[in-house]
Amino acid sequence: MNSFAERFSTTSATAQMRIAQAAAADEEEFDGAMWGSDAGFGSLAKGVPSFSVPAVADPTSFLRLHTDDHADPNCRIKIKHGTTTLAFRFQGGVIVAVDSRATAGSYIASGTVKKVIEINPYLLGTMAGGAADCQYWETYLGMHCRLHELRNRERISVSAASKYLSNLVYGYKGMGLSMGTMICGWDKTGPAVFYVDSDGTRLKGDLFSVGSGSTHAYGVLDQGYRWDLTDEEAQELGRRSIYAAGHRDAYSGNTCNLYHVKEDGWKFIGNYDISQMHYDGPGDVPGAPGGGYGYDIRVEGRNSSNPPAVAAAA
Amino acid sequence: MPNMISLAQPQQRQFNPYTENGGTILAIAGADFSVIAGDTRQSEGYSIQTRYAPKVFRLTDKAVLAVNGFAADGNMFVKKVRQRLEWYRHAHAKDMPLRAIARLIQTMLYARRFFPFYVYNILGGIEEDGTGAVYSFDPVGSYEREACRAAGAAQSLVQPFLDNQIYFKNQTPAPGTSHPVHLPLSTVLALVIDSFTSATERHIEVGDGLEMYVVLSKGSTAFQSLGAIHGIQELTATEDGERVFVIRRELKKD
Amino acid sequence: MSIMELNGGSVVAMVGKDCVAIASDLRLGNQALSVATNFQKIFPVTDRIYLGLPGLATDVTTLRERFRFRVNMYTIKEEREIEPETFAHLVSSTLYEHRFGPYYIEPVMAGLSKTPSGGVKPFIAATDLIGCLNFAKDFVVAGTASTKLYGVAEGLWEPDLEPEDLFETISQTLLNAVDRDAFSGWGCIVHVITKDKVITRTLKGRMD
Repeated sequence: MNSFAERFSTTSATAQMRIAQAAAADEEEFDGAMWGSDAGFGSLAKGVPSFSVPAVADPTSFLRLHTDDHADPNCRIKIKHGTTTLAFRFQGGVIVAVDSRATAGSYIASGTVKKVIEINPYLLGTMAGGAADCQYWETYLGMHCRLHELRNRERISVSAASKYLSNLVYGYKGMGLSMGTMICGWDKTGPAVFYVDSDGTRLKGDLFSVGSGSTHAYGVLDQGYRWDLTDEEAQELGRRSIYAAGHRDAYSGNTCNLYHVKEDGWKFIGNYDISQMHYDGPGDVPGAPGGGYGYDIRVEGRNSSNPPAVAAAA
Repeated sequence: MPNMISLAQPQQRQFNPYTENGGTILAIAGADFSVIAGDTRQSEGYSIQTRYAPKVFRLTDKAVLAVNGFAADGNMFVKKVRQRLEWYRHAHAKDMPLRAIARLIQTMLYARRFFPFYVYNILGGIEEDGTGAVYSFDPVGSYEREACRAAGAAQSLVQPFLDNQIYFKNQTPAPGTSHPVHLPLSTVLALVIDSFTSATERHIEVGDGLEMYVVLSKGSTAFQSLGAIHGIQELTATEDGERVFVIRRELKKD
Repeated sequence: MSIMELNGGSVVAMVGKDCVAIASDLRLGNQALSVATNFQKIFPVTDRIYLGLPGLATDVTTLRERFRFRVNMYTIKEEREIEPETFAHLVSSTLYEHRFGPYYIEPVMAGLSKTPSGGVKPFIAATDLIGCLNFAKDFVVAGTASTKLYGVAEGLWEPDLEPEDLFETISQTLLNAVDRDAFSGWGCIVHVITKDKVITRTLKGRMD
């Protein structure tokens, strides 16, 4: 058992981890924390979460056999998939826009999923891939960002936060985690966006889109993107890109959630129904051109089946 | 020995600890109440194992948990949640709030990320502010607060019906009027019964019996409408707090 | 991915009081990618029979033409219009001809048949992809949203609906069912067949 002095000898993260792991190894399956004194965070109270693993030769192939990592939709345990998420950096901060659909096979399991995870008032994470993986690890990341603040008397940088997450999921590489996330925020260096996925990829960049509808979103996003976008233009670009994906991609849709990160933290801009955007537009919001985004609506009276008078005469 | 060469092919065995036990669960949140329901049939393939296996469980006076999927995992999971809630009660001398139970369930499910509980959970009850709430979970712990949710074998039959009748999806209110935000308890109970009779009609794994748990917030006005319901049974354990009731109905057994 | 889910699409038909209704979505997709919002899956066979063909889009077109040919041949030979019951058996036997290499279509039909007293009797039917007939007395469904359609229809449908009420019932059934199906939607079309006329309306559905 560790001595009192040794236990409190250092506050560095690695030492904390070492101590926590040693403590966890000492203890039985149930420790004092699970008796409720840690506000329900029983499995996290040790500092490192612990996972049950089936007693088979190859736990990874066991998991793959019973859960669908979208290659095999016939498995019993359906983990929700299908998404469009995007985030981009510009002069006025970071825009984060996502859809809200979750599908299990052809069934739309939910149309009200919160795919933006509010890690803390300055950090946002997006959700693509396994919903539980993103929710759990980004909440967990939030706890460690707070610990970083307490230890270092300053906010964690977006770079450090994203690297923490990246290293964390890399530790589970090959075990079947599935997440494609963008960690967005504002730190000393200004607005920042990092793409992190469960393969261990971590990329810094200006513009990312993740999910089954990402190609559709990129189409609109690339066309309209400039660094010197105004806040209103940028928000409209985010909305319009998610609309495009929601419209064309069967696995994306329902509503668009829009966030804007500025120097003083993130702000929730709004929730927009994608079908309503098609017919009537996003409503009376700054940056919107007015009228629906839908092709049929925009070209009403100016298409081949109903051409304008001049064109018809010629 | 004449033949040392074995002609036996190598055999492979796979560890399959899961099965599907059918059934459907459903929960709807009202302004100051919550209804959590489930059928009582338990089946495996085309065989009915039992006509009465509860899938809905009272956790506290303000929380009810419905579990669906693999019955063995479900029952064990409920047992473990109840154990943790009891420990909480010993440590804090009060019941765990609903939103905390929801987070507890997430961490408990995610702790089995690499050996999942094959269980779809729906948690219903009353929040600390007195509003009705429903939380739905996937087997590995992603969760969301909603107003209504169906899960299990007949989820795809029931959920679109509920979208239409609870959220008034695809319905336009008459000019000058608007759709109600919260429905009264009597309407909700009628919709739950209709949902299950419909699901029983068209899904072989649903039927036999229906258990509807009703959780009322402190001083809820919905209490009046409960008196007239026949066969209602109160399960409340503590005085002057939230109240829990169960209503049982028969479903077709064919 | 199932071949029935390649292009997506769903059809539902319902019986009313001296009327029938048949409705479908308008989506044509290529797996997750939605391609067209105006893909008709329901075709008139006679003035009083409509046929819905959800399933593989190439077979929708092929079967439509095949049935048009066979119904025309029947009309010429018999010198009278085909009755819904007869047409249902024509559909069934046409599909069974391809028992071991089927068309990936689950047809749904709705029509009014003549009674000896000069009145009309509502008729609906559906078959599986090899022609097994299902003569239901309430409603029939097919396509990628079939389970969702069953659930809503079972909750909303009631006997002896007048044409306008039947229109509302079938529209609500279809709209809410396809909103929970990733492969159906993008607008809907409804036909209500009565003794005197056919009412056709296009519905404004969700476009995602």
